[in-house]
Amino acid sequence: MLAVEWTRAVAMRQPGLAIPGLVLGGAALALAAWRIPPAKLGLGTTRFGLRVLGGLALGAVLLLPAAVRSSAVPLLPAGLAVAAVAVSIGEEVAFRGALYAALEDAGGAPLAIIGSTVMWTLAHALSHPLPFLGAVAAAGLLLALWRWACNDLIGPIVGHVIADLAL
Amino acid sequence: MKRIALLALAVVAYGIAAWMVAPGFYDGFGPPQPYNFTCPPPQAGANTKPSSGHLEIKVIGGVSDANSAFTDDGQLVIGFLPGAFMAAGKTSITVDIKPLGTCPTPAGIRFVTNVYQVSADATIDPSKPANLVLRFSNLVPNPSTVYLASDPNGPWTTLTTQPGQPFTVETRTATLGYFAAGYPAGSPPPGSVTVGGSQALPIIVAILIAVVVLAGLPIAVIRRRR
Repeated sequence: MLAVEWTRAVAMRQPGLAIPGLVLGGAALALAAWRIPPAKLGLGTTRFGLRVLGGLALGAVLLLPAAVRSSAVPLLPAGLAVAAVAVSIGEEVAFRGALYAALEDAGGAPLAIIGSTVMWTLAHALSHPLPFLGAVAAAGLLLALWRWACNDLIGPIVGHVIADLAL
Repeated sequence: MKRIALLALAVVAYGIAAWMVAPGFYDGFGPPQPYNFTCPPPQAGANTKPSSGHLEIKVIGGVSDANSAFTDDGQLVIGFLPGAFMAAGKTSITVDIKPLGTCPTPAGIRFVTNVYQVSADATIDPSKPANLVLRFSNLVPNPSTVYLASDPNGPWTTLTTQPGQPFTVETRTATLGYFAAGYPAGSPPPGSVTVGGSQALPIIVAILIAVVVLAGLPIAVIRRRR
């Protein structure tokens, strides 16, 4: 996962590779969940409406600090929207899905929450300046705690996609 | 209750962490490092003053070496070809880059970068123009043009500009002076077809909150009745 994320970060620095890097990176990350039952990834369909609603709430929380600043919004070119969706889903399936499930099997929920957050933060070390990694880690911890508290990955996926699209 | 309390703590921790940096840190869409503004916009968060740059170019046999001058923060880079300067009688040429301490707002132009003064103690050979690259922030609209002036009060002329690496614009110039990137004030900002945007985000968040509350309340009521 780290190799995929770091390769993606390096590739995106080259002109014209941002969108392919995001799409292919997202697809490669999603492969981490190959042959893992959806329920184990937190992708069950029970209470689906509530899960989506939770994702909307997570999206609002993730965007709130930027929204409060009103004009404080970077402009995401429309061409990156599909790519943003792809990488958001890929990252959630990989980190809060497959990695979380593996760590939970190995050492329980605390290891899964902390381990997936640490790996998620390291994965963004090349694509984000150092001062941003605290916020990245905090977002990862929030999404991992949601995964644990609600046994749900739909919410983090929806929240992550909304946040990436809007920022 | 323990789970809800931990989630609430995580929400607070995230809010504090996200407030300490400029927004836009999701999945590497931002520039590799924050832009150092002379006049930071309100959304910039913590800001470091922009850096200056200095370069000594050797002159060998009356021909100036190829070399590049850049600010220490990499926000302006200017590259010179071999023999780019009229260097007769010189052994070296000094190039200085200084960010202007003020932020001019000429009529009809919106600058999105700092204004930089690039000077040298020799003139450039018009047949060997320098390549100039300006980095810009992801917190502002993309610039369409690099502007040049001999005085920060103008008049400003446009240079033929092309996009460079992400969050940079490039141009070529045979004249040194004051440089800044921006776009004509009368036209929509380039790249303004966006997902999100300064006015959209508060609306998006308000809609999200409204949907969560409006859909969540009936669900909570139904569950309580059960």
